[in-house]
Order: sequence, then structure tokens, then C-alpha cells
Amino acid sequence: MDSLLSALSQIFALSTLTFMLVGTVAGIIAAAIPGFTVTMAIVLTLPLTFNMDPLQGVAVMLSVYVGGLTGGLISAALLGIPGTPSSVATTFDAFPMARKGDPGRALSLGVWASFFGTLISTAVLVVAAPPLAVFAVKLGPWEYFSLIVFALTIVASLVGSSVLRGLLAGLIGLAISTVGADPILGRPRFDFGFEMLETGLPFLVVLIGIFAISQLLSEVEDARTVRSGASLVTGAIDFKTFKVMKEVLMSPVNLARSSVIGVLIGALPGAGGSISNLVAYDQAKRASKTPEKFGNGTPDGVIASESGNSATAGGGLIPLIGLGIPGSAVDAILMASLMVHGISVGPRLVLDHSDLVYGMFIAMAVASFMMLIVSVLSMRLFLRVAAVPKWLIVPTVLVCCVVGAFALNNRVTDLYLLGFVGLVGYALRSLGYPLAPLVLGVILGPIAETNLRRALMTDGDPTLFLTRPISLIFLIAAVLAIAWAVRNHIKTNKNNGKNAQDAS
Amino acid sequence: MEAGEIARFLSYIVLLLTSVALFVSAGHIPSSMFETLGAGAVPRFVFGTIILVAFIAVVDSLRKIPRDAWDRFGADTLRWVKSRFLVLLCFGIFVLYLLVLPVLGFSLASFAFVLAIQVLLMPRSPVTILIAVFVALAFSFGLNALFADVFNVFLPRGDLFHG
Repeated sequence: MDSLLSALSQIFALSTLTFMLVGTVAGIIAAAIPGFTVTMAIVLTLPLTFNMDPLQGVAVMLSVYVGGLTGGLISAALLGIPGTPSSVATTFDAFPMARKGDPGRALSLGVWASFFGTLISTAVLVVAAPPLAVFAVKLGPWEYFSLIVFALTIVASLVGSSVLRGLLAGLIGLAISTVGADPILGRPRFDFGFEMLETGLPFLVVLIGIFAISQLLSEVEDARTVRSGASLVTGAIDFKTFKVMKEVLMSPVNLARSSVIGVLIGALPGAGGSISNLVAYDQAKRASKTPEKFGNGTPDGVIASESGNSATAGGGLIPLIGLGIPGSAVDAILMASLMVHGISVGPRLVLDHSDLVYGMFIAMAVASFMMLIVSVLSMRLFLRVAAVPKWLIVPTVLVCCVVGAFALNNRVTDLYLLGFVGLVGYALRSLGYPLAPLVLGVILGPIAETNLRRALMTDGDPTLFLTRPISLIFLIAAVLAIAWAVRNHIKTNKNNGKNAQDAS
Repeated sequence: MEAGEIARFLSYIVLLLTSVALFVSAGHIPSSMFETLGAGAVPRFVFGTIILVAFIAVVDSLRKIPRDAWDRFGADTLRWVKSRFLVLLCFGIFVLYLLVLPVLGFSLASFAFVLAIQVLLMPRSPVTILIAVFVALAFSFGLNALFADVFNVFLPRGDLFHG
């Protein structure tokens, strides 16, 4: 009880609340800039927290994290560019909704879904942290590998009009991830004598190039529209804040399911918001009575993606607090910030620093309220992006992409890579290849390889992937995902053929 | 429509041939005595799967392309390139920007780049040109100052002036 009171007094101190508010705003703005990821924002925040108390520092970083998970929605909805990998699925429906003239609703839906997702994940974190942590620690490399195979097949079969091109895009991503030193023994692979390739292709540069550069180039395809000074998003700017809140709450099953998916995936080390938004979206689509509306601007798609990715924040803290295992890069930075203050993060964290742990729970909830208030009050400012014409957006965002790509490693060669990847991304986009599976392949490739090789180093028997129940479930789900997509593809082709016959 | 399918067919062929070359190359990565799979096993698996999927895609694509579409392919491609003139021009300027950035420095190169693209794309009037100059200043010198002073991230200063 003393620990809880101590945590409350620390979090609700005016200085902490002020820093948290600044952190929330900074997180939202940073993630709204394509290429400026939440991880990058938190890395840049870390040195600023060295002079703070441990709980104050972690609370500020959690605010940046919660704000950032929502901020990715702004560019996803308004520009069709995911500000962060965790908002890839948000582009599927929020962007079409904004393009159809309802940008305010798209943003409002995302903000409320993020808010409820974070709250639900915080509640689950408080109540169910110990059993979930025990479950997560039982998963071996077999289960992780199968989980990644499942995640990749979902996304490959989920997006785009062709399963084959979806699979090829995912495989190209995996192929890109094999460039550079191998993750187990560090042997050089496919560097072709280039120093830059020795450590592998930086995934952030690939992400910016593939998504942002190619999207920006496609924005200037129609010379007449660009020169007319038309904005990227048109339509009335009306948030309908409380109407949308009711709309989100009227989808309790979707909200709860997506949030729980976010928590579960966030609790698995290595799997974070970049997977959870896609899995939550996929599950919402499968459970929907009108799956054909997904991808055309349905509210359920935005709710699933945003609540799914925001809920990973709480989920990711479960293994970090319970076991001292960071679930994602962001959690690793949070862990580092505690270690800087001489706090050892591990199973004894709850016993030795219970005020800190309670404080983290409270900070999550407070940060989500701050995110909601900041978003609702300042969304009109964010929506100004919608009123800005393409001729202003395209060059300025291109410069932000260059800054984002450069700031990661301070390497000019990364910029040349950015240009090349951007061109490849534009070519793939023009040829009808979905880009989300490619990026996911790049991110998940090294994790999949590490777990596959670790599994076979532990036990050389490959049948273990099929005999371990959880691994088998993931693999069956992967096969079902492809089968379902192929079935839908054949069904659509038959319907198209039938319609063509009827028309003639 | 057919030109798109032929372009896709060619992309499958490129993927297929590249994957065959990299599959062979992965075979030369030395294996390890400490583990069942070596450093080359996963790349071989990935490129092998690409070869398989790309082959299926080639067959599927050939089925969809009408015979007379090949004759029109050259003209259709030329028409596509012409319709994407602005994209190619913007990308050309972007590449030039990336090349001169280490020489001129972030601020100067970005100012020139942002201004050039804006002037290229915008409906020109005294007001829009004034806005363009202001925006170019903010996203070049302004952004540089923000990153240097607030985030301690120093963007390229340029060899020409600080070499």
C-alpha cells in the first residue's frame, strides 16, 4: 500500500505530469513524421531522462511511447504512409476513409481505439502479468519460428489482390534480411564487398524507402491534380468526437479481441506492434459479417489495427517487469533507462522496487488519458496536414525521410540506399506487389532465422516443430491462412467471370 | 492491362533469375561444425522458395497474357513512361539532392531541393512562391537548427564549406 501511495505521489507531481505531457506531444508529432519511429523518439528522449528520478524518467518515456503508438495513425490515415511499422494495417481502412472525405472520423476512430486499447492493456498488465509472463517464457525457439511463419503468411495472404505477389513480397523481405553478417555466427553474406552491406541493410531505411518514398512518388503521378493545388485528403473536417467514441464502444467484441491480441503479442519477446496490428486486423476481418468492406474504409478495420497496436505497450511490459526480458526495442530502451539509474531489471524488480512497478502501471494509464486529451484538443492542428497541398507535402516529407534515414546511423551511404530502395518500392507498387509483407519480412527475417537455427542447435530433430503443440497450432494457422486466401481468390475470379458473362 | 501483366511477367523472370544466382551463391557460404544449419541454409531456403513461387507466377502470368499483347508492349511502355514524366523528374531531382547533400551540406542542399520541387509542382503565383521560399527555409535551415540544438543530431555540414 505504501508503495502504491509513493508511486501515486511521484506520478502526480506537477513536474512529472508536465514532462509526461511534453513527452506525449513529442511522441505524437515524432510518429506522425514518416520514418521518425517511436523507437527513435524514445532513443532521443533517453539522454534527457538521466537527470530525472528513475520513475519520472520511465514515466516520460512511456508517455512518448503511448503518444507515438497513436501518432503513427496520423500519417497512416492522411497520407497512406504508416508513420511507424505498427500502423501498417491502419492504412488499409483509415486512408480510404480519409480519401472518401471523412478524415476527421478516421483520426477520431483511431484515437479512441488507441485509448481504449492502451487502457485495456494496462488493466491486463496489472491483473494478468504473472500468468502471461509464465506462458511467454515457456515458448521455445520452435514456437517463435512458427509464430513468425504464421505472421508472415497472414500478411502475405491478407493484403493485395494476388496471393502469389503477396508471398513473393514477403519472401523478398526475407531475402533482404539475409544480407550482412548471419545472426548466429556472424559470417558475412551477400555483402559483395560493400562495407555498408556488411552489417546488413538498415531496416528503418528500407521501411522509409519502400513505404514513404514510393508513396510520395505515386502522389505526383497525375500532373493536373498536383498543379491544381489539390490537397492529399479532401472533405469536411469533422471529428464527431463523442459520436465516434460511442461508435468505438459499440464494437466491444472487436475492441476487446484486438486489445487482447495486442497484449498477447506484446508479451511475446520479439513480437510487437508491427505484428499485432496486422493480426488484430486479420482477425477482425475474419470475424466480420461484411469482410468485403475491409480495405475500403470500414471503421472496424481502423479500430482493430489501432487498439491492437496500442495494446502492445502494456503487453510488452509484462516480460520486462516479470522476467527482465525486453519484448521490443522500445522495452529494451526502457530497461536501459532503469539500469542507468542502477536498478536491476529482473524477476526481483516487483519485490525490490514495487513503487517503481506500480508507478509504471499508473504512468501507462495517465499517459493514455494525456494522449486522448492532446489528440482531441489538437487534432484540428494535425488535420491542417489535410489542407496542405501536395506540392508542399511531397518535398517537405521527402526531406523528413532523408533526415530520418540519416539520423539512424549518421551515414551518408544510407541516403543512397534510401533512393535506391525508394525506386524499387515505386516499381513494386506500380507492378501491384503489396509492400507490407516485404517490410514485415525484413523485420522478422533475422528473428525467424535465429529461432530456427537455435531450435535445431538445441535438438537436431526437425519434427519438433510439428510435435510441440503451440508450434503446431501456429503452423496449421499459417497453412489455413494461405488456403483461405487462395479460396477467396478463386471465388472472386469465378464471380468476376460470371459477372463478365452476364454483362455480355 | 496487358502491358501491366507483361511487366509483371518480366518482374517474375527477373526475380527468378536473381534468386537462382543468389541460391547458387549461398551454397558457397561455409557451413559450421557447431550447428546443423549453417549461415547459408536460410538464404538457400528463402531463395529456393522464391524460385518455386516465381516459377508458378510465370506460368500463371503467361496464361493471362493474350498473344497480340506482346506486339503492343513497346508502345504501351512508352506511353506509361510519358504519363509518369513528373514522377521521373521528381525522382531525378531527389537523386541529385542526395548526391550533392554531402558536398553542399544539409541546409543548402535541402533548401534548393524543397524550393525546386515546390516550383515544379505548384500553381505559380507571387503568394505561392513566397510560401515556397518560407517552407524551404523552415525545412532546411530550420530543421537543421532543430536537430542540432534540441536532439543533438548533426546533419551533414557539407565538404564544400567545412571540408
